[in-house]
Amino acid sequence: MNELLSNPFNTLSHPTAVQTNLPALALFSKFDPTGRYVASARATGSADVWDLETRNSIRWLDGHVKPVTSIDWSHKSRYLLTSSKDWNVVVWDLASTCDPPQRYSTLRFDAPVVSASFHPKNSRIILVLLTTGEAYLCDSRKATRSRTMLKEIVDDDSDDEEMKGEPSSRSRTHMTVARFDPAGKHIFIGTSNGTLLVFRTRTKTMIARHRISGANVMKGIEFTKNGRRLVTNSSDRTLRHFVTPTYSEAVEDGTAPGGVLEQDLEPTHRFNDPINKTAWHAMAYSPDGEWLAGGAADPAAHKIYVWDLSNDGQFASTLDGGREPLVHLHWHPLKSLIASTTNQGNIFIWHSPNPERWGAFAGGFEEVDENVEYEEREDEFDIEDEVVLLERKMKAEEEDVDILGMSVATSPPNARSSVGVHGPSSASAYASSAPTRSGSVNERAGSNERDPTAAQQSGAAGAGAVTNSGDSGMRVDTPDGLPDGHGGGGALTKEKEKEKEETPGIASVMDQDPDALWAGEEPDDDVPGLWKMKILIEGDDEE
Amino acid sequence: MDPLAGMDDSSTDDETSSQTTEDDPQVPEQHTQRPPPPPIVQPPPPAPSASNVPRERPHYQERHVLRGHTKSISAVKFSPDGKLLASCGAETVVKLWSPETGDFIRNLAGHTEGLSDVSWSSDSAYLASASDDTTIRIWSVETGITRKVLKGHTKWVFCLNYNTTSNLLVSGGCDGDVRIWNVARGKCMKTLHAHLDYVTAVHFNRDASLIVSCALDGLIRIWNASNGQCLKTLAEGHNAICQHVQFSPNSKYILSTAHDSAIRLWDYQSTRCLKTYTGHTNSKYCISACFSVTGGKYIVAGSEDHKTYIWDLQTREIVQVLEGHNDVVVAVATHPTDNMIATGSIESDLTIRIWIDRGPRSAA
Repeated sequence: MNELLSNPFNTLSHPTAVQTNLPALALFSKFDPTGRYVASARATGSADVWDLETRNSIRWLDGHVKPVTSIDWSHKSRYLLTSSKDWNVVVWDLASTCDPPQRYSTLRFDAPVVSASFHPKNSRIILVLLTTGEAYLCDSRKATRSRTMLKEIVDDDSDDEEMKGEPSSRSRTHMTVARFDPAGKHIFIGTSNGTLLVFRTRTKTMIARHRISGANVMKGIEFTKNGRRLVTNSSDRTLRHFVTPTYSEAVEDGTAPGGVLEQDLEPTHRFNDPINKTAWHAMAYSPDGEWLAGGAADPAAHKIYVWDLSNDGQFASTLDGGREPLVHLHWHPLKSLIASTTNQGNIFIWHSPNPERWGAFAGGFEEVDENVEYEEREDEFDIEDEVVLLERKMKAEEEDVDILGMSVATSPPNARSSVGVHGPSSASAYASSAPTRSGSVNERAGSNERDPTAAQQSGAAGAGAVTNSGDSGMRVDTPDGLPDGHGGGGALTKEKEKEKEETPGIASVMDQDPDALWAGEEPDDDVPGLWKMKILIEGDDEE
Repeated sequence: MDPLAGMDDSSTDDETSSQTTEDDPQVPEQHTQRPPPPPIVQPPPPAPSASNVPRERPHYQERHVLRGHTKSISAVKFSPDGKLLASCGAETVVKLWSPETGDFIRNLAGHTEGLSDVSWSSDSAYLASASDDTTIRIWSVETGITRKVLKGHTKWVFCLNYNTTSNLLVSGGCDGDVRIWNVARGKCMKTLHAHLDYVTAVHFNRDASLIVSCALDGLIRIWNASNGQCLKTLAEGHNAICQHVQFSPNSKYILSTAHDSAIRLWDYQSTRCLKTYTGHTNSKYCISACFSVTGGKYIVAGSEDHKTYIWDLQTREIVQVLEGHNDVVVAVATHPTDNMIATGSIESDLTIRIWIDRGPRSAA
């Protein structure tokens, strides 16, 4: 809600400047889903949790003997997972009151672990990728405890020649990157020969194989928050931006004729550095999916490239973080913040600085960027009886206020209409008889938010104008703003329909969707409000 | 001119009129140069609720009288788990009480001057106290040991509050500074030169993104907690020097008490006063108010006529008056889960009273 106070335009811009430098000795770092913490991994095998508010390291998780290769947070930040080259995946419970924290569970494999991640809906389901190029789905729930290897389904017959004739390696493609999609319904696996394999999480079967021409070895996959777009990084030094494919019922169930869906994916955008041809270490979408940040693998500089996806993927800017080369970056889940890690182990927190508004120090004072000719309203200098004013005020105060409900608090438009508007007749009555005392523009209104109302009063006095002031809500959750132009038209309209179907809310989707139901059965106890991370005070001060 | 003009709902100019009028073009910081305020037009008693549904009324009765303070009480606070009540006053100790039994539990001793405020961490394990010895102490409640002494204020510390996650503390001093502290390290993270006079209340919003402060310079200011920038200033009428502010439980509104004997509920986004609660007396002391949400929704505040008033949040009617103290009631607190109120009084009274509401039958 303070977004409205601090950022009058309600848009999420991309970060532009380094706000903080955390000396973390980190290999890489990752924000948690609530956005309060940063987890950083060390080459020694330990991991730290940093509090972004105090910029303190608040937990030190020591569970590995070799470098940490990946970190993941559970969906509400209670659990943290670390994978390491020492063949282990360790899960940590941050609600634990032990100090130092003890490991919550350990998964051991037969090879160094490349990456591991939690299922987005249930932290008891973990996807693991090993250096041997195999991926495992580990379900540690009592009812369905299992460890399943995700196997690529290969057609052994006729079209061998078509697949460029690699008969020996075809039985087992080397998997190089494995990710859940944000809903957890599918697992996307990138391979060393430039294909994207899609598995259905619940059945653990492969449903589709997408060839990405020219991609070579897949190095990374990232999704937008709503899962409708994805970007891949590959050894040809190009980031490819796709519309996430959707699958028909038959493909999902594996009952489609021909079995696995074979489909080439055509990127809607390709991002690369045409001059230096730098490779990319990491990429990240902004929370609203309107920006894409790429961390350049420049050996002598710390550069983050930002593209504006709402503007047809136009290059927006390069963020220069100095001489320490970048090795990783991650975008904050809610705000315009990026954490980028240098090869020296420092974590830069990038933000978009707000210029100080000195006008905020004076009550009822509004800064204007340029001179505005003030047009006084018809009734602006009318003198009104104080008794009438008072009566009207008392009447206005009878409107109920909600001091508990959070939904109202985060959506100002509703609050406005419930608190401020009495219905068409009374609202217009107020507006037309508004008492006024000052003529100066600067003194006119204290907050940017009131501008639509001001416009209403100077012009037509109608209730409709009051209620529309809410169009400028926070835009993080709105469907991503890509123009409909790119990608196959048919696929897009289909997707739009799907969007519509999915809007009714999580609850109803949960009722129908077997995949969501499956993840929801025997839920983990990562429930906000039911656990707390204890504040540990360092040392005693008692004199 | 009209002291209530600032709260007028009907105009975009209400921010302006709360500040400056054509008769009084001074900015409010310069209140010393202002002409004396015109007589207050008393608002007519609020009309009964328009809805036909009879609103429930509270039935608070005195349950315990806690004696032990030897000097004026400045604050009482229930722990978030509801098991303890902390109180402080002009003596140098924090007292802990059991609100259920009314028993005294222990003193937390260590400060060298009187205390103005206390705040509980959200897990009820720590208590922070603000003292005239310019320090803040963080106590482990279980052991009674000082865990941290926060030094940095240059004058008396007047008010403080934890954020919800209790990794930060915000404090206000009589030097006009607001300080944000890192609790784990006991270090000051940021100093805001916030006001020109005693900072009388500071409070974090729910997600600790904002801080609201008010001071005897008459201004309420909202700050961005992460970068310390001032986001907005609210000013009440010229005679309405504000002494206490806090965010509503959902952080959508701000409740303020002022020396014109009025408590106001503000929508800080639109800089509009939504509700005014009147009927009590408050023109001299720093009297706090609080929300009561365990039963009906009420506003509770002390008064200089030795009583404690309870207003209906929505209708602004006084629904109950608690009598018992025989001096000004400056401190009030509401229990986090039960229908329980604690009040504290000053000089000639020096008691804390616990009031509970057992429903209409017990009152009959």
